[in-house]
Amino acid sequence: MILGGRRASGRNLILAIETSCDDTCAAVIDGGRISSNVISSQASVHERYGGVVPEVASRHHLQLVNPVVGAALSEAGVELGDLDALAVTRGPGLVGALLVGVTTAKTLAAATRKPLIGVDHLHGHVAANFLEPEPLEPPFLCLIASGGHTLLAGVVDGGGFEVLGQTLDDAAGEALDKGARLLGLGYPGGPAIERLAVAGDPESVEFPVAMARDPGLDFSFSGLKTALLYAIRKLEEGELTERRADLAASYQAAVVEQLVAKLERALEPGEWVAVALGGGVAANALLRERAGRLCAERGLRLKLVPGELCTDNAAMIASAARFLEPAPYPEYLSWDALA
Amino acid sequence: MTLVVGFDTATDDVAVALLRFGTGSSSELVAESSTGARGDERPRHAAELLAELEAAVEPVGGWSGVDLLGVGVGPGSFTGLRIGVATARALAQALAMPVVPVATLAALARGIGERTEARGRARLAVLDARRSQAFAALHGPADEELWPPLVAMPGELAERVAALQQPPLAAGSGAIRFRDELEAAGAEVLPDADSAHRVWARQICLLAQAGRPARPETIEPIYLRPPDAELWLERDTR
Ligand SMILES: [Zn+2]
Repeated sequence: MILGGRRASGRNLILAIETSCDDTCAAVIDGGRISSNVISSQASVHERYGGVVPEVASRHHLQLVNPVVGAALSEAGVELGDLDALAVTRGPGLVGALLVGVTTAKTLAAATRKPLIGVDHLHGHVAANFLEPEPLEPPFLCLIASGGHTLLAGVVDGGGFEVLGQTLDDAAGEALDKGARLLGLGYPGGPAIERLAVAGDPESVEFPVAMARDPGLDFSFSGLKTALLYAIRKLEEGELTERRADLAASYQAAVVEQLVAKLERALEPGEWVAVALGGGVAANALLRERAGRLCAERGLRLKLVPGELCTDNAAMIASAARFLEPAPYPEYLSWDALA
Repeated sequence: MTLVVGFDTATDDVAVALLRFGTGSSSELVAESSTGARGDERPRHAAELLAELEAAVEPVGGWSGVDLLGVGVGPGSFTGLRIGVATARALAQALAMPVVPVATLAALARGIGERTEARGRARLAVLDARRSQAFAALHGPADEELWPPLVAMPGELAERVAALQQPPLAAGSGAIRFRDELEAAGAEVLPDADSAHRVWARQICLLAQAGRPARPETIEPIYLRPPDAELWLERDTR
């Protein structure tokens, strides 16, 4: 497979480890095919804190990382010795969490004298699009929206991406989480808001659209959150229960509207042949529908990254690693996390 | 003949050693290194541990020549401990190497026990736990554990020391930090420049050789303190 002139390396069998946030992940890929993709989510652990607590996440990663790596190898039917290379997320993310993955990957690689590939987490989200089935060929636009990131990336080859826009404050998923908290809903907030929004009127409450009209490609969601807070404060006692669905629907629509407005603007130069949606927020039905309509109008392919590759996972890290230069033993011995 | 690699990352030091055990109880130190943090910069565990380990095993033909691994499991720096334990667990996973977890305070106490002043006396190992607290453990004249690792304010620790029948010999970063409190309670703290204040990995090797391997996935740091978020939750629900 040739991607924008940059060819995936001859290395085929790659084990990748990803521990940048609250999921402990390991995967084996063989070329562009996923042999195993193991994700041990700590979401239920962090639910009681209403968000990810770094020290709690780091402790869990340490407990889980070896069993998860073992499961990824055995599900793929390979042993460490069979691998062509190992790969690991070096950043960005929570430094203590990243260090568990980096230390484990470095040590497994050194003990078996294998090369190691350090991967940028966001490059991983972009590279999820290169995996089978139906790998996407550049050039394409990639919108990654999750609790941790909001990124609009231009992708012309496998080895990297250009940041066209990113959030100036909260991530899109974070905005949904915070909105859900203000509305008295659970964590994670995105799915909770989406469920409630079905019964609400998205045009009943007006939210600021300044950022959607801003000519740049960066995002900002903190103003929306403040607007929601004021909208809730303006309500009479007992009115919140009654208006909750309308508020959820309007708030969700405002978040999606901004994402789609920036996507539309980024498409204008016309050099892209497809749009890819990734990250946890890509599961949002309204976002999928609006992006789908936009692509249909422009005659572009819309790639929806499958669910298990949308949220954090190690298959996407292995996929990015295929296009990067491996560091041979012993070059990586002193690698640190790049938080 | 048994080759044992030991290491510890609970303190600012990255301590690594390779010990060769002969017949009986004889042992020979093949390699030992301990690199501390430079000035005020953050500890260099991530950057230095694996490189130091690879350098230590290189002269004996790499990991295939090593029979046993000992890892210091704290208490101490959470991040440092996780780097040490993750390294030990990954080596075990890759090489099917047996690993013995060793309490860092036991290694520190064993080092104190090598001082002539320690003969017939209890050894108090104390590490600076930050936040004005100390991690401590007390070992008897034959190295037997009298107090398992604990975390305490210096005042509480001094009370426990004052209640001992015989004054212990103390060392470690926490013994230097809380020298005044400990000496007032009757402990003898070794002079600041004494090397027994640091954790030496040969002690980890010796304790590992005498200990029993654990299943690698069960090896965990001795944290002693819950994550801060737990404390907030407890306070919130009270
Ligand atoms: Zn992510």
